[in-house]
Amino acid sequence: MMSEKFARAGDYTAAEAMIVYGARMLAPFDGKIGIIGIGAPLLATHLAKILYCPDMKMIVETGQADADPEEVPISIMDSRLTYGSSWQMGDPEGLFPLVRGEVDFGFIGGAQIDKYGNLNSTFIGTDYNKPHKRLAGTAGAVDIGGFAKATIITMAHQKRRILEKVDYLTTPGWMVKKWPEGTMVRREEVGLPGGPIAFISSMGIMRFDDETKIMYVDRYFSGVDPKTIKENTGFDIDISRAREADPIEREELRVLREVADPLNIYRTR
Amino acid sequence: MAKIKLVPLREAVEVIRDGDVLFLGSLIESRRPMAAAYEIVRQGKKGLILLAECSLAEDILVGYGCAVAWRGCYTGMANFGLSPATLRKIETGEFIADDIGHIDIILGAMAAMAGSPFVATRATLGSDVLNPDYSRVGQIRKLARDPDMIPREKFILFEDPFYGEGQVKLQPAMKADVAIIHVQQAGEEGTARVEGPLAFDHYFIHAARRVILTAEQVVPEAYLRRDPNRNQIPCTSVDMVVEIPWGGHPSQVKGFYDVDMAFIRDYVKMAKSESGFQQWVDEWVLNIESHDSYLDKLGAGNLERLRSIPPYGYRPRKTCAGIA
Repeated sequence: MMSEKFARAGDYTAAEAMIVYGARMLAPFDGKIGIIGIGAPLLATHLAKILYCPDMKMIVETGQADADPEEVPISIMDSRLTYGSSWQMGDPEGLFPLVRGEVDFGFIGGAQIDKYGNLNSTFIGTDYNKPHKRLAGTAGAVDIGGFAKATIITMAHQKRRILEKVDYLTTPGWMVKKWPEGTMVRREEVGLPGGPIAFISSMGIMRFDDETKIMYVDRYFSGVDPKTIKENTGFDIDISRAREADPIEREELRVLREVADPLNIYRTR
Repeated sequence: MAKIKLVPLREAVEVIRDGDVLFLGSLIESRRPMAAAYEIVRQGKKGLILLAECSLAEDILVGYGCAVAWRGCYTGMANFGLSPATLRKIETGEFIADDIGHIDIILGAMAAMAGSPFVATRATLGSDVLNPDYSRVGQIRKLARDPDMIPREKFILFEDPFYGEGQVKLQPAMKADVAIIHVQQAGEEGTARVEGPLAFDHYFIHAARRVILTAEQVVPEAYLRRDPNRNQIPCTSVDMVVEIPWGGHPSQVKGFYDVDMAFIRDYVKMAKSESGFQQWVDEWVLNIESHDSYLDKLGAGNLERLRSIPPYGYRPRKTCAGIA
């Protein structure tokens, strides 16, 4: 009996889908320099380097140059990222290439995203002094999203996370705040290069309109109805351009489960 | 004759004064000065202002009420979740957070190490880091033992007069009263060799008034001086050296031991509530007489299962059992 090439929806979790599509997104960046943020991007990148872009030059904000870990790192400080790197210095050496304009793409997570791809990873609520929920902080996200030539974002798809406006603008997307007034302006106006090119959620892949820079649904994952994406988005998202994503291959799942994260350290299943 | 800087942990931690600005070396779950953090709790320090991040080591100080404020960029613990005690205390308003960017910390430390009051950068432009309503430096300045360790303004926006690059931000120096760095090897005069990520340590050792090293091994100073290019910390920047094997546990120390995942997961679970944190700190810090008792309590078998192997400097999951 011939084994099927594609997995069926239901054979994998939403978190696994997010990791696999995140990994595919990196395929065009083989040979390019990418800075990879903490969390899900580390696992997706690990999978991508095994399957799609073995020559992608992975740099990390904690000072690893061309990291090539044998095992998936648990954090950006894990010595699994050190062993095999071209260079291991510290955070200055990890982040300054971004500001120098040397980094082709950044790959980061967040807790909230708005329709312009601005991210919040600082706090949820209206009172900074007494937040409803404190989050992880700016970490490297503000710098990665500010200075990479392109930014890829990944986080779970939930209505309370994908919003008209984020509670705190941690990472600049397409429309950002110009201070001291806090006026919303295009990111070029404050001198920032790049910008978010894709948002991979647990339901689909969102992109940003060339003209308006507003997020729309580009692809929905197998078994996900685009209307469900709309219902689970906190603003009225355009689904008119949505098409089904190429289905997940069984081989991708096998590599994710058996090679990339065999101990399920990232708890995707 | 060269000065011998070796002191016991208790003596080193005694130099920290209430209200000091404190930097704890390295980041997240790697090479953290954990034994020193436990000793700060045991000595009941108060009013500390933390820099850079509130992660594994800092969270214990926040949970026990040793620290009142923090200026930095991260309140998480990577794969282990967010820093539980820090979250609780920020959400109740008991602990003051002043968020800045990651590059801001680097440049702040760089200005301090260069002896400059500030540097200019485009980092964090466009973000709420620059929201004037969210600056807490005024409050934190009042809490510091020496207010002049904290800048009068969080930042100032300025037009680049040199290259016409538009708006830039003047980022004030970030100084520390005390920096505590955990290292793999130190000599008796303070020369030290660090493996793995250096984090901000190679900057903050020059941005702090006093530098304390805790070391896995104290080795002959002369041994480290055979190959000075491999040393990241010069004796001239170090005030005290404490030998404390396994002093980074449960974080990982490259070349010595891997991260104790079960221990950190247990901490994160316990510290989510005030009572759970108290129970944890009683068990692992306050009711522990010495670092030896801490290691005895962990057990030789458990520690052996964390030991790194060459050439990796960590303990590969695929060939060694007992890590995950």
